[in-house]
Amino acid sequence: MPVTTASKPILGVPQLPLRRSSSGNVLGGVCSGLAVRLGVRDRTIRIMFSVGALFFGFGLLLYVAVWLFLTRSGEDTSIGSRLASTRRRTRSLLLSLVVILAVLAILNALNLHGTGGFAWSLALSAFGLFAIWRGSSPDERAHLEGLVNAAPVMGAASSRGWKALVLRVVPGIVLVVVGLQILNKIGGIWGAAVPALLGAVVLLVGLLVLLAPWWLQNVRDLSSERRERVRIEERASMVAHIHDSVLQTLTLIERAASSESDVIRLARAQERELRQWLFNPDSIGTSAPTDGSFATLLGALENDVENDYGVKVQLVVVGDCPSDEKTRLLVAAGREAAINAAKWSTASTVSIFGEVEPSKVSLFVRDTGNGFDPDAVASDRQGIALSIKQRMAQIGGATTIRSTLGHGTEVELVLPRAAVGQ
Amino acid sequence: MSQPRVFLVDDHELIRSGIRSELSGSVEIVGEADEVGAAIEMILERTPDVVLLDVHMPDGGGLAVLQAVGHADAATRFLALSVSDASEDVIALIRAGARGYVTKNISGPDLIDAIYRIAAGDVVFSPRLAGFVLDAFANPDGSPVRIADLDPELDQLTPREQQVLRLIARGYSYKDIASELTISIKTVESHVSSVLRKLQLSNRHQLTNWATERHLF
Repeated sequence: MPVTTASKPILGVPQLPLRRSSSGNVLGGVCSGLAVRLGVRDRTIRIMFSVGALFFGFGLLLYVAVWLFLTRSGEDTSIGSRLASTRRRTRSLLLSLVVILAVLAILNALNLHGTGGFAWSLALSAFGLFAIWRGSSPDERAHLEGLVNAAPVMGAASSRGWKALVLRVVPGIVLVVVGLQILNKIGGIWGAAVPALLGAVVLLVGLLVLLAPWWLQNVRDLSSERRERVRIEERASMVAHIHDSVLQTLTLIERAASSESDVIRLARAQERELRQWLFNPDSIGTSAPTDGSFATLLGALENDVENDYGVKVQLVVVGDCPSDEKTRLLVAAGREAAINAAKWSTASTVSIFGEVEPSKVSLFVRDTGNGFDPDAVASDRQGIALSIKQRMAQIGGATTIRSTLGHGTEVELVLPRAAVGQ
Repeated sequence: MSQPRVFLVDDHELIRSGIRSELSGSVEIVGEADEVGAAIEMILERTPDVVLLDVHMPDGGGLAVLQAVGHADAATRFLALSVSDASEDVIALIRAGARGYVTKNISGPDLIDAIYRIAAGDVVFSPRLAGFVLDAFANPDGSPVRIADLDPELDQLTPREQQVLRLIARGYSYKDIASELTISIKTVESHVSSVLRKLQLSNRHQLTNWATERHLF
């Protein structure tokens, strides 16, 4: 189980367990973690590490080592043990370490100055930081990325006052002093400039030759890691969709296995949804039935009639236009006609054909069922026919109902486009 | 008429077995394939009358099969079979030489009827295909096509052809259309064949755009 420690040190009260702090930390949370554990101010620990860093960089190296091998609060494992658990990463990191040690040893053997304790601990700390970057958890990685992005502007923020000044000036002075020291030891600032430059170039080339393969390897690892993350995210959204749709439907089908019509209805609805998702992924969630184009309204109509009445609806739409109040009423009239056909005609299929032309929008609803005599219909069905006709009259459209006993019925609805309000 | 010799191309075993059981007894199934390479080889070897061709398959789909076989053996005719709603896929297949298009949820008797029609050299337009074709030949408002740019012979449908396609889209059978327009079924068939010919030969930009976008021709 991940252990979360208290984030605030209580003075004089040591708290267990020892964890890197995950809140209120500047870098890795090492100092605040230790402060909590020892019951002292975290500032005290920070000063101790800073002072330690002056002794050949020892404080820095120690800090990085603790960062690597101490588990972060709220996590199960330390960065070091995570890195060690994947063989490929371990190998590439060990290789890097060997290369760094080799370079340092060569520099030492060449008896170049400036390769004392500082260089060793700086190089090893850099390596440690790199390893931390590779092995950090996503949460911590985000924190580190924030740090890296903020670093260049830290010194520039003058409103921060003396803190900003210290942050910018102290590392600057240290670097200048170290650089001067090196040049001075080589033999005077001007006296040995040429051999020193030459030496530096040789050194750089040597480093390049030694480090290039290792660097490339790491860059490649990083980009493949990123790609893998993208793949995992895609897979997760795919899994979520399949679960919400297909698996749910399959469960419903298992339960309804005894009712053939239910199974068909479920399978059809799922088929349509899945097809929509595969071929028009953008339209998911945007096609609310009261809003959308003429074609989307008809798609919703097809869906509803198939689901509610268990008939197959064969929908063909030619052209499309944005919907307004009148096209919505046209589709509503078409819905009445389709429901009518589904309920009464006994046909297994209802054909719906919608076409948008410059001068008109037409909608045909047809079945090949038993048909009826339009002049002698039962009053309830006449009611529905009336509601279709009234709707169409309301929007300035025309209704034609053709029906032959034994051959089916077709309802034709035409809305002139001049009547479609602009 | 003797039973047509039918070949099935579909990468899904379930679909193939479903079609097989629907067709058994009514047609002679001479083979089936679940991938493009095998399909091409076997179709050329067995020369079936009708190939039922799935639109969506790995390695180029039905189109790859059509392009490889269509020209080599004109006696073999193709009926595209799909669950896809993408009109450009279907139009591309028709332009490559398929003689018809039906959706996979077609009923068994309708599929058998379609196969016999194709075998006899006719064309099979499902309502959905009729809708696609009307769409492809329509001039969308806002971008009127200048009549001078069109080859009337190939780039436009005659009013009668449009009428026939609309009736197909409305769910009419050829027989219903014939009695609605008081013409013979043969005349209906000849209108549909002429639409198919225009579809295959026309250079209308809507048709060629689809093709070039998908790098098909």
